[in-house]
Amino acid sequence: MSADAELVSRAAGGDSSAFQVLVERHRSMVYRVAYQFAGNHHDAEDIAQDVFIKVFRSLDRFRQDAQLTSWLYRIIMNACIDHRRRTRFASSAALGDEAEQRMLNAPEETPGPEERAYGSELGQVLETEIGRLPKGQRVVFVMRHHQGMKLCEIASALGLAEGTVKRQLHAAVHRLREALRQARVTAGEGAR
Amino acid sequence: MNCNLHTSGDLDLYFYDELNVAERRTVEGHLSGCSECRAALDELRVIREALASRPDVSAPASGDWSAFMTRLDTSITQERLGSFAVVPLKPSSRRPYIGYLAMAALLALVTVGVTMALRSPHVPAAPAPTVAPVAPVVQQNQSSPAKDAAFTAMTEEHFERSKLVVLGLVAKRPEEFKAADWAYERELATGLLNDTRLYRLAAEDRGLNKLAGVMKDLEIVLLQTSLTDDKDPSSLQQIQRLIRRRDLIEKMDVVTTTGL
Repeated sequence: MSADAELVSRAAGGDSSAFQVLVERHRSMVYRVAYQFAGNHHDAEDIAQDVFIKVFRSLDRFRQDAQLTSWLYRIIMNACIDHRRRTRFASSAALGDEAEQRMLNAPEETPGPEERAYGSELGQVLETEIGRLPKGQRVVFVMRHHQGMKLCEIASALGLAEGTVKRQLHAAVHRLREALRQARVTAGEGAR
Repeated sequence: MNCNLHTSGDLDLYFYDELNVAERRTVEGHLSGCSECRAALDELRVIREALASRPDVSAPASGDWSAFMTRLDTSITQERLGSFAVVPLKPSSRRPYIGYLAMAALLALVTVGVTMALRSPHVPAAPAPTVAPVAPVVQQNQSSPAKDAAFTAMTEEHFERSKLVVLGLVAKRPEEFKAADWAYERELATGLLNDTRLYRLAAEDRGLNKLAGVMKDLEIVLLQTSLTDDKDPSSLQQIQRLIRRRDLIEKMDVVTTTGL
């Protein structure tokens, strides 16, 4: 049994120290992914909290032969999507599959003047653009680009068809390319 | 953008190494004659480099996890209370549980005692504990000055033994790391873990919150030590950081020099 599986097993049996060690081992990774998705500390912290509460609730459902990180990714991504849903649809009724799909592909709200006033660094421009991606695209991009997960792993983690994941990634990359070109044009104009 | 390869998304898959060997060869053949796709590939590289240059944010803004952990502890406690509200524990149901704990403690302590005795060249003489640590758990509401004194003595003894592990871990140099170097500490940590947990429960039961806190820190370090991959030098560094962050040696010194 792996160290993680051992910790999960102990934590599921009520050992609070084991759960604490589990959190300490994985909190940096969880926070990193949450931040990459959210783009700010406030939301990243909320998401990371949510992830570990969900982990706590589902300790007894973890399969001992499974990889903890894969299990965690699934929980993180669901938490990211849930967080967006809560902040935007706090009072709405439960969504059906079709509405859920529309929501996943809906563009983010128009950024405010502060968000538009991005810095000169290309990385910052791209990071801002990632924050504006529709959440389905953002989740897939973060999982593939930042976390290095294979498309089949992402599809499995999110319960989506691999073709859908591929399209989401392509759409995300397309938007980032556009942002890159725009930034280069702006930088070129600024230099003149 | 007119090239099919580019618009189909296959170029992205090539970039992210998602194609099989044959498909990769096809794309590479295409790239040699298509400037549009080469430019698109360059853009992807620029995007990767630009994003890689961004700071890696993997901790709260302050860099300190304590507020995060406190908040999480509160939420988890509420979760636990929620569970208890649905299935309340009967007061009498604690007795059999404590009985089992006592039995487990007794067995664990005898095992540890025998192990320690056999390993005596490595360990300063410390009498093997017998039944005494179990007493505060079993007789939680029947404490007396004599039993308190026994509990204090056993706790201090346990700390002394645990300190061997903690000091041993801190003294090691990760840059000269060999897995066998800390096999002894790992083995001791595994042996001491269950007792530490029982001592913590006993301390909590007696309202000795500071002692319970130190026991909890110790328990975490021992647990991490016993579970960590011994082939990885970074594991040792991580545990050393954990010990420093929690001031564990100082806290244990306070307990052993000034008493409980």
